[in-house]
Amino acid sequence: MKITLTVNDAAYPLDVEPRRVLADALRDDCGLTGTHLGCEQGVCGACTVLVDGEAVRSCLMLAVQCDGVPIRTVEGLAGPGGEPHPLQRAFSAERGLQCGFCTPGFLMLAAGALDHDPRLGDEEVADLVRSNLCRCTGYEPIRRAITRAARDHQNGQEGRHRSV
Amino acid sequence: MVDRWLRREDERLLTGAGRFVADLRVDGRLDAVFVRSEVAHGVLREVDCSAARETPGVAGAWSAADLPGLPPMPGGEPAREWPALVEDRVRYPGEALAVVLGDDRYHAEDGAARVRTRIDPLPAVVTARDAAADSVALFDGLSNVALRGEAGSPIAGEVWERAAVVVESRYRQQLLMPSPMECRTILCVPEGDRLTVWSGHQAPHRLRSELAALLDRPEESVRVVVPDTGGAFGSKSAVFPEFIVVAWLAVRLGRPVRWVEDRRESLLVATRGRGQDQHVRLAADADGRLLAYELTVEADVGAYPHLGVAFPMQTAWMATGPYTTPLVHATVRSVLTNTMITYPYRGAGRPEATSPLERTMDVLARRLDLDPAELRRRNLIPPELFPYRTPTGRTYDSGDHPAALDLALRTLGYDGWRAEQARRRADPAALPVGIGLSCYVERSGGERGSLHDYVGVEAGEDGTVVARCGAASSGQSHSTVFPALVAETLGVEPARVRLIEGDTDELPGGVGSFGSRSAQIDGAGLQHAAGLLIEEARERAARMWDLPVEETAWSEGAVHPVRGTAAMGLSELVKRTGPLRIDERYEADMAFPFGTHAAVVEVDPDLGTVRVLRLVAVDDCGRALDPAVVRGQAFGSIVQGLGQALYEGVPFGDDGVPLLANGLLDYLLPTYAEIPPIDLRETRTPTPRTPLGAKGAGESGCIGTPPAIVNAVADALRLDHPERLQMPLTPDVVWRAAA
Repeated sequence: MKITLTVNDAAYPLDVEPRRVLADALRDDCGLTGTHLGCEQGVCGACTVLVDGEAVRSCLMLAVQCDGVPIRTVEGLAGPGGEPHPLQRAFSAERGLQCGFCTPGFLMLAAGALDHDPRLGDEEVADLVRSNLCRCTGYEPIRRAITRAARDHQNGQEGRHRSV
Repeated sequence: MVDRWLRREDERLLTGAGRFVADLRVDGRLDAVFVRSEVAHGVLREVDCSAARETPGVAGAWSAADLPGLPPMPGGEPAREWPALVEDRVRYPGEALAVVLGDDRYHAEDGAARVRTRIDPLPAVVTARDAAADSVALFDGLSNVALRGEAGSPIAGEVWERAAVVVESRYRQQLLMPSPMECRTILCVPEGDRLTVWSGHQAPHRLRSELAALLDRPEESVRVVVPDTGGAFGSKSAVFPEFIVVAWLAVRLGRPVRWVEDRRESLLVATRGRGQDQHVRLAADADGRLLAYELTVEADVGAYPHLGVAFPMQTAWMATGPYTTPLVHATVRSVLTNTMITYPYRGAGRPEATSPLERTMDVLARRLDLDPAELRRRNLIPPELFPYRTPTGRTYDSGDHPAALDLALRTLGYDGWRAEQARRRADPAALPVGIGLSCYVERSGGERGSLHDYVGVEAGEDGTVVARCGAASSGQSHSTVFPALVAETLGVEPARVRLIEGDTDELPGGVGSFGSRSAQIDGAGLQHAAGLLIEEARERAARMWDLPVEETAWSEGAVHPVRGTAAMGLSELVKRTGPLRIDERYEADMAFPFGTHAAVVEVDPDLGTVRVLRLVAVDDCGRALDPAVVRGQAFGSIVQGLGQALYEGVPFGDDGVPLLANGLLDYLLPTYAEIPPIDLRETRTPTPRTPLGAKGAGESGCIGTPPAIVNAVADALRLDHPERLQMPLTPDVVWRAAA
């Protein structure tokens, strides 16, 4: 099937089999290998991306379901000038990654949540961290990172509002 | 902005620019999919790949019969050979019967689905005890017992007869899946006479020499590169049957071939850890002084003899633990079973030594009506007895075990929790709490024969420094930590130093990263090599300035005359005197990190649920190269230890097939929902065996945490016979034990 994936504001016209999962299309057809596959059954969440603003397990979604729908992956997380997203900075600062394999999934999950509600509370952050698997960090540094990013994000936005 | 990223690894991994093997793009690459046995044990009657070969997108399909000369797994016994593809007998579930190569994984799987196989099932044995009976033989005419070994000397009967107390117990160290988030990977790219192998791997040089030998070609013709690796925990340190098939076919076809293991395969055929049935006897006098300890290990090591067969000896050698027990005897019997092989998994042999001893210490304390902390205090090896030679043949380098125990008790608020426990015991409506301790000692660095590594430091004309070592990172921050260490030794800015590792073309040799050896051996080695570079720089400067070497000095990355101020930096020195490069084989003895872990749990006896209220871990790994990195690994390993204690395990059906068909919905890795409050504390007792003083780090949680949690549950339930508490402590196990 001919479809166009719109990933991080770039258009990727593709000819894919209907069975092709979104994760494979992103990785192999679009060359966006930042999205990782950890279980291919929707449990680990390493492959989480944003589809129309919603966090989805891209191993459980078909590429053809996403024709014309905006998709955001970890490659599109930084700002237009390459300025890191607060989440990226916070994950480094809080040591929220070791091997880094699960990291893009946590980043996109949290990015989607922050887009919906920049005032993430502790319980919302905990719910996010509970959604995905990490085998290196023990999660607590990831929780701290998302909490920090939410705070920075908020401060940043309020700063912008004030400066207007 | 210099401080944007705490680690050098972070930017690429946080922006999607990391490169794991599955991310590499190579033109013309074929994907390998293996057709796997659905039975645990059986006689292979037929493999028919013809339909697979006609499948669109399939480049080829082969059974063992189609690949004469395909080499078997290395390191086994000729009489019990492990073929890379099953030839006539299936011995573990998931064993590969055929391989299909496709232009992508979808097509290869289409082909694999059309391979027809027929197996006549045989009875399967999955526990060491069943297998040792030899009623089902994995190899006709041969016993399933693959190895017998012992550490220490047999203990005379009268010792047990005269002791005031003797505790006997049985424990199961269940099979665990290491479960790195990235499963195993290999990509083989043949180019002319060379074969480049990309693999997420812990020991690239060993992989190179094994593959070269298997393919019967010179080592120099094989290059192994380890790119970003998504965790390993011991599970990526070997060559595997699938690796042999992929490398063989890549060479034979002259095309790049890769295998990217998926989770479903991994749960079936990745190496597993632990897997021991244990019997212990522990004798003490009336004051609680340990007199004798006997550990009997029956290890289920999987279907084929291999390196892991001898690995339970690690448990035997470490059986003494942190106590002054004068008589210790450990025996091991490794038995072949119808499972994928057991192999090192984080902790590797030390958790299996710590758990039975620490659990039995708590039973002994109860029998003697002694506080478990006091019983331990009376028996811990005091600091003045180091180096301490154990009855099981280890010589511990250094330690202050009582300090670690005391710090753990203080951090936990031990007396407060005991008071809370008493309060709840007086209140029939309150859920019971239990407090569990675990004092451990581990071994780091490796065994004789692997206590060395290649290390090197090179100064460039441009003022940069390149550090090289034989380690291979799978998430341990080597690119950050090792350059910082070299920079500190040389007195230069860390930004000027970069690390090269994990590429056999770039290094004269190497051993790898396993057994908590990277900081201890490679770290000490890099410090040593940097010191040699300083010496060489001073000698060159002395010649240049016509001074005795003693009249030169080194500070802040430059050599200068002792009298006078004219300093010369490395860059200038190299420009004047030529390339300056140190290459060394560094060797050091093993070291023994130690510590105390403590747990507080609340148990609901009616539901069998365990809520961990608090974990405290006091670890001592000597000098920590980067304390935050060490703490990160300590925390992660505690969570893996929590997994062993409460959640993880491999149950089998009567047919010997693991009951993990629903993948990670069946094999329960801890999530954030399961993480209790965890306090990390450190004591610092450097190893005297290297000038650096670093002992291994990163495995402590898998070693110290599980028995602390199990002891806490037994304490909450006031169990006299905690044998019924066998890990993982699922609600079912706890409910039955409480009943």
